Amino acid sequence: MNECKKLISLVKRNTKCYFKDKLAFFMSMITPLVLLVLFVTFLRNVYIESFYLYFPEGFTVNKRVIEGIAGAWLMSSILSVSSVTVAFCSNTIMIDDKIHAAVTDFKVSPVKGTTVSLGYFISNFFVTFIVMMCVMLVGHIYLAAVGWYIPVGNVFMIIVDCICGILFGTLLAGVVESFVNTQGGMSAVATLVSSLYGFICGAYMPLSQFSKGLASFLGLLPGTYSVGIIRNHYMSGYIDKLATEGIPTENLKGIKKSFDMDLFVFGKQVTLGAMYAILLGACAVLLAAYVAIVIVKNRKKS
Amino acid sequence: MVIDIENLEKSFKDVKAVNNVSFKVKEGELFAFLGVNGAGKSTTINIISGVLNKDGGSVKVCGYDISNNPEVVKSKIGIVFQNSVLDKKLTVYENLKYRANLYGIFGSEFKVRLEEICELLELKEILKRPLMKLSGGQKRRIDIARALIHNPQLLILDEPTTGLDPKTRITVWNIIDKLRKENGLTVFLTTHYMEEAAVADYVVILDGGNKVAEGTPHELKNKYASDFIKFYNKREEAENYFSGLGYTVNSVRDYTEVELKSTAEVAKFFKEKPKLFDDFEVLKGNMDNVFLKVTGKDLKDV
Repeated sequence: MNECKKLISLVKRNTKCYFKDKLAFFMSMITPLVLLVLFVTFLRNVYIESFYLYFPEGFTVNKRVIEGIAGAWLMSSILSVSSVTVAFCSNTIMIDDKIHAAVTDFKVSPVKGTTVSLGYFISNFFVTFIVMMCVMLVGHIYLAAVGWYIPVGNVFMIIVDCICGILFGTLLAGVVESFVNTQGGMSAVATLVSSLYGFICGAYMPLSQFSKGLASFLGLLPGTYSVGIIRNHYMSGYIDKLATEGIPTENLKGIKKSFDMDLFVFGKQVTLGAMYAILLGACAVLLAAYVAIVIVKNRKKS
Repeated sequence: MVIDIENLEKSFKDVKAVNNVSFKVKEGELFAFLGVNGAGKSTTINIISGVLNKDGGSVKVCGYDISNNPEVVKSKIGIVFQNSVLDKKLTVYENLKYRANLYGIFGSEFKVRLEEICELLELKEILKRPLMKLSGGQKRRIDIARALIHNPQLLILDEPTTGLDPKTRITVWNIIDKLRKENGLTVFLTTHYMEEAAVADYVVILDGGNKVAEGTPHELKNKYASDFIKFYNKREEAENYFSGLGYTVNSVRDYTEVELKSTAEVAKFFKEKPKLFDDFEVLKGNMDNVFLKVTGKDLKDV
């Protein structure tokens, strides 16, 4: 019971330390917001043209639906990528504590090392969630402006998807950054993840655009399914709207396949339920790895 | 005994950091632990406080073995690190609250303890200020407050005044004196300043991981340090006389200094050559001389 209260206190302390560092919060927010601005400025028309390719010739459709579905595709990309990249960037408090020896202060206190480590993980989860919700709010204001066709139930599911993605991202960050002891190392890891992750999880480019071999390989990575679930909940409302506007089912299937709502790995379609199962399974594996690292590190007092 | 260490051993790969060291610290004592960097002081402190595991020997704090009861031992010790390990962006109140929570001190219990600490260290006026906005002396007071927040029986001060200006050093020492007089606290001090070690009740000197000397400052000075006579007049006569007898004589701008073998020699020479002694002073060797004698190293140079 006492250890639980200590954990809550550590989470509060870590979260407070993070949000008092305005620069760290700004840096975490800026990457996804820059992506949103870049899209609106440079890529919006390219995506809209891509959607038009799947409509029957001469077919006209409500412009708000097309603008909205392109925006929804981008929002799903930004949120799924951010769940990992923000988690990596927000873990600064763990690294700062190593650098400024606060970790030693915890070691001389009667608190378990596992409680301290769990405190970092939970606070990073909260911080990433708060940043993601801020980004989501900005994105939803944009979608409401250009065309909003997302049912309320799907908005709820998008938040659930974000939570799954954040769980995956914070666990991955916890495992990787357990081995980082310097600010430079932290920046290097965060930069590497920020620049690579969007591509290897199929967020910036749909898997359908890659070669079969590469697409199948990327299908083995759990991050791909984090993108898949969130895409479905962002875009399905727009697909339904397009169906009511008279777009043939075959064309809609083409859109779903090309824009990764329907994911195919080794030629087989992965259902939404299977996507959740793979993502949560990966979280379980990462959790086991994180716990193992924490236990080994706490036993090893040189 | 507050600390009882027997045959302590610790190695880092091939380097023997602490080699068969034994010593005891009595209740209410000011205990000084001296040694150059790398002598084994910090390693010993880290073992006492449970940060490092020992390779051999036994370490008991307040009767509890650190290996069997680490949590109990940690709750008996408060440590002031050489550099502050508190959260610079958080307020003094937040820092003390979150650290107190690690010792299972919450709610009303914390408020009562905070009140006591504020009174003892005069913190009330700076309680709501962020740590980074405090002066060096104020920060040091907060470090001491953090170490005392759980009412420990042993206060470990790891070079608490290194890098501080003279005024702040005096402030820190006034606080330590007050804590010893009013609370009967046992203080374990490591320092580079020999004048600080000179006021200790007991001193242990480490060199290369070995205990090379121990005793009260008076005992150590008698055993290891020479006494001196300083001649301010009749300098030439004094120099000739003592040089002729084979004593080490050192002449500087204002005086001629003769290193004696024992204090008793002063009386002998005073009887033999009373005319030399018209303007002179006799000085006992200090802790600098002791340290130089037993380690062959001058703390001012390391």
